[in-house]
Amino acid sequence: MISAVYALIAIGFTMIFGVGGVLNLAHGALIMIGAYSFLVVTSGSTLGILSLPTGIGLIVAIAVAAAASYVLYIGLVEHIEENPVITFLATLVVALILSELFVMGFSSSPRTLINLVPGSIHVEQFGVRVTNIEVVGFVVSWIAIGLLWYYVTRTDEGRSILATSMSERGAQLTGVDLPKIKARTWLIAGAFAGLAGVFIGTLQSTSPIMWLDPLALAFIIVVIGGIGSIKGSIVAAYLIGYLETLTVELLGAGFRGTFSLLVLVIVLLVMPQGLFGREWVHE
Amino acid sequence: MSSDTGRLGGPLNSIADGYNDRFGQVFGELNGLQFALIIGSLLVLLLVPVWAPLLGMSGLLRTLALASIWAILAMGWDIQSGYTGYISFGHAVLSGGAAYTTALLIGNVNPDLSLAVTLPLSVLAALTIGLVIAVPSLRLKGPYFSLVTFVAGLIFYQLTYAFSDYTGGELGVRVGRIDFTVGGFEITTFDPVMRYYVMLVPMLLIAVTLLYVARSNVGMIFVAIRENETAVSAAGIDTTKFKIWSFVLSSIPMGIGGWLLAHFYGTVNPLNFLLVDRSIELIAMAVVGGMSSILGPIGGAFLVIVLREEVLRIFGATGRWVMLWTLILLVLVFARDGLFRKLWHYLGRLGSRDGGEN
Amino acid sequence: MDMGAGAENSAQLAVDQVNDDGGILDQEVELISEDSLADPGESMTATERMVEQENIDVLIGTFVSEVTQGIVDYVGEVDIPFLITGSADPITLTDTVGEDYDQFKNIFRSGPINSDLQALGMADYAEFLADEHGWTDFAHIADDAAWTVPFSENLPDELEDRGLNVVHEDRLAPGTDDFSPMLSDVSSADADAMLRFFAHNVGTGMLVNWRENEYEFGIEGIHVPGMSPEFWDDSEGAALYETTSQSGAAGAAEITEETVPFTEAYVEEYGDSRPSLPMYMGYNSYDAVFVYKNAVERAGTADYQADIDTIVDELLETDHTGATGEIEFYGPDSEYPHDVMETEVDGTISNFPVTQWQDEGEFECVFPRDFASADHLAPDWM
Repeated sequence: MISAVYALIAIGFTMIFGVGGVLNLAHGALIMIGAYSFLVVTSGSTLGILSLPTGIGLIVAIAVAAAASYVLYIGLVEHIEENPVITFLATLVVALILSELFVMGFSSSPRTLINLVPGSIHVEQFGVRVTNIEVVGFVVSWIAIGLLWYYVTRTDEGRSILATSMSERGAQLTGVDLPKIKARTWLIAGAFAGLAGVFIGTLQSTSPIMWLDPLALAFIIVVIGGIGSIKGSIVAAYLIGYLETLTVELLGAGFRGTFSLLVLVIVLLVMPQGLFGREWVHE
Repeated sequence: MSSDTGRLGGPLNSIADGYNDRFGQVFGELNGLQFALIIGSLLVLLLVPVWAPLLGMSGLLRTLALASIWAILAMGWDIQSGYTGYISFGHAVLSGGAAYTTALLIGNVNPDLSLAVTLPLSVLAALTIGLVIAVPSLRLKGPYFSLVTFVAGLIFYQLTYAFSDYTGGELGVRVGRIDFTVGGFEITTFDPVMRYYVMLVPMLLIAVTLLYVARSNVGMIFVAIRENETAVSAAGIDTTKFKIWSFVLSSIPMGIGGWLLAHFYGTVNPLNFLLVDRSIELIAMAVVGGMSSILGPIGGAFLVIVLREEVLRIFGATGRWVMLWTLILLVLVFARDGLFRKLWHYLGRLGSRDGGEN
Repeated sequence: MDMGAGAENSAQLAVDQVNDDGGILDQEVELISEDSLADPGESMTATERMVEQENIDVLIGTFVSEVTQGIVDYVGEVDIPFLITGSADPITLTDTVGEDYDQFKNIFRSGPINSDLQALGMADYAEFLADEHGWTDFAHIADDAAWTVPFSENLPDELEDRGLNVVHEDRLAPGTDDFSPMLSDVSSADADAMLRFFAHNVGTGMLVNWRENEYEFGIEGIHVPGMSPEFWDDSEGAALYETTSQSGAAGAAEITEETVPFTEAYVEEYGDSRPSLPMYMGYNSYDAVFVYKNAVERAGTADYQADIDTIVDELLETDHTGATGEIEFYGPDSEYPHDVMETEVDGTISNFPVTQWQDEGEFECVFPRDFASADHLAPDWM
């Protein structure tokens, strides 16, 4: 179920790469920003005056993460994106700075977010239990993905994003305003990260180190699915979900992360274009 | 000011010329001011145990010893990533691999193994790991190569937990200090002064060696690969061979540095050796100083470590890291070529103008 | 980290009390604190700086086992008295004081009891749960980390020996974020309670999952993040019914006549900052200051460079009623040299109290019985 949320993260990451050629290592930090924004506005324990309903919290989380993503692009990445390695390093440094700032602001102790939809469903005959929040996370993620799909295939604005990710030069020739498209992509990716942040923050934990695991996962999913491919990200998110469960079953919990990373390396080396991606290896 | 440096520049330039005649071919030519900077820094570093206590800063001995080790690591990174342009984000794995080799030998084989055994084996381990990473991943370019090396770092970090029976998991393994005798004189790194020299001397030797390599034909080819790999291949040079060579050359200082760091801390654990942050710090030092210059990363390492351990402490334990990373980010955006390269070129311009006056 | 701030505040409180009382050997005491950031390298720097430049006379603290492990070689070399008040791994002492007494004799642990002994305490607690609720089937889940090894090695056998069943065992990679498979394993093994040992893993996500699914088992054991008095708010109340063992029992019970006055003094001084209670390391650090004071006053010197043997001898003579209980040390030739001894009441280890988060976000001490402040509660959905 949580694979849908992972897909949400990976899609944002891959769109930014597709459109701008930027590997945004601060993507995990945007998830963290989403989770903490939700915490601040919904929980009475941070700012006593603010304890808004969780639905509004969700919207705030999306808005703040989207804004942060936009600012990150306009304020930093836009000026350095012509050098991919410096961008790689700079976005990573941004993530580290944000992580330390959250330690200062909220202490390093992890937090729990107020549950959007408490309760669970227990299917007796299959012995399966699912919490409501997992179901909602699944549904909302798919709605978001569906909306994005509609946007990039059915609307002119969205199509220009898709076109840019296929060929930057081609898109430019057809009169696409490139800087605007890139900024818009960062905005969407940020919104997705913020939404994912609320679910990750509730189902897992909200802490200043929560940025790294989702980021590593986004890497893996994106590379396996093919960098720049939205469809690939969704398929790979589910693939990795099953793979992790399988690893835990067969090898034990200690190898869970390692095995996915190994698969990533193998995919990179054997099939660098991923399942649905473009060729990007240069011999 | 120009008359001052002019007066000073004269004699300095003539000393520098003496150096240039002898070594200029090998290490590159210097003008008087650049020569003064090198000799001045060298003297300051060699005499730390004399001046630091006088200024009431004997803690600097520890900080600068640590900076020396990091300088070795930053140079090791530079000869591979900085020169060839294949930016590795997992270099801490090489030094960490060496440190863990020492730890496993001392922890699981024999606690009294001498450094004549642990040092070569650790360097060998760094070399092996370097090749294991390099051979498959060097097919990839730009950020993809960086991505694979980054992932390699994550994998090694997790493996220390998965094999905690041997590695002690998060506790790590105690390796103790360096203790050896030279001509009947016992050298132990429990003594801050001796420890400082045990870290500084290898750093200087490695610096000289790497400078020599970087100015040799091999170094030229590395740079050519970074600038235009296709052209180098077209000239009939096997670039893959040279890229692997760069990893080999890098692994040796990484191994020595990892081994020194293991004995500096006395414990080898994932946090201080393999965490991704360590690889990033390494790169940050090299970039802050100035990539592909060997001397730049040394300056960067000393600057970053002194900032982190001494200057930025006023911002508190966590605030210090925020400030450090923010400063690094500013350098990345506004002075991508590195602070020490800027200083060097500034001195270069200043010095040559003076030379003209004379 | 909350733990460190609690320890620092508590030590400061002890130092203030000592100074009001004329200091140690008629000298005013000064507390110098450094945050190791749970980083062994950082802690080495801090220790060396404090020893060589600040000229400290005693070193107190270290929560994370890897930090303790990182500085023992140096501490052994310079002979400064070192009272461990946080990390509980037995090897910290057995591998040092036990292996090379002369080199490491200056190292002690004044609390908590080491994790081998804690495993026995946990078995006592499991028996108590069996008595209280008829819980006989336990699942054992631990961080896949070195500090939990003594539990994984000793506890399951100890439980079986006492006629209890261990129906499921697992280790979790540090930083595990998806707890659903583990919870459903515990549930399908029909465990009555899960004994979990978490420091690197934070169980907030697990607690939410457990409560929403109304899994029919209790969550017991050791949960380091759950020891913070702020954990109730941090977890938005998901902490309800979870228990953890902690020295000092969060001040909820009168372990000795020192426990409650110290807790109150702490709350008055630091109650508005984070953490609002001393936490377990705070209790241990507060006690350590007095253990050291008493020993050097008996020794008549605090000059460890000249007289470390005298100071060590007097530390070994310690018999101090602290906020955590009665403090005495194991002798040099025992199984756990220089480790704090466990205390027993009615055949159960008593300096290993267990607290539970109960209604309205209060810590209650539920074990051992003789000073418990409330009954242990099973989750209301069970």
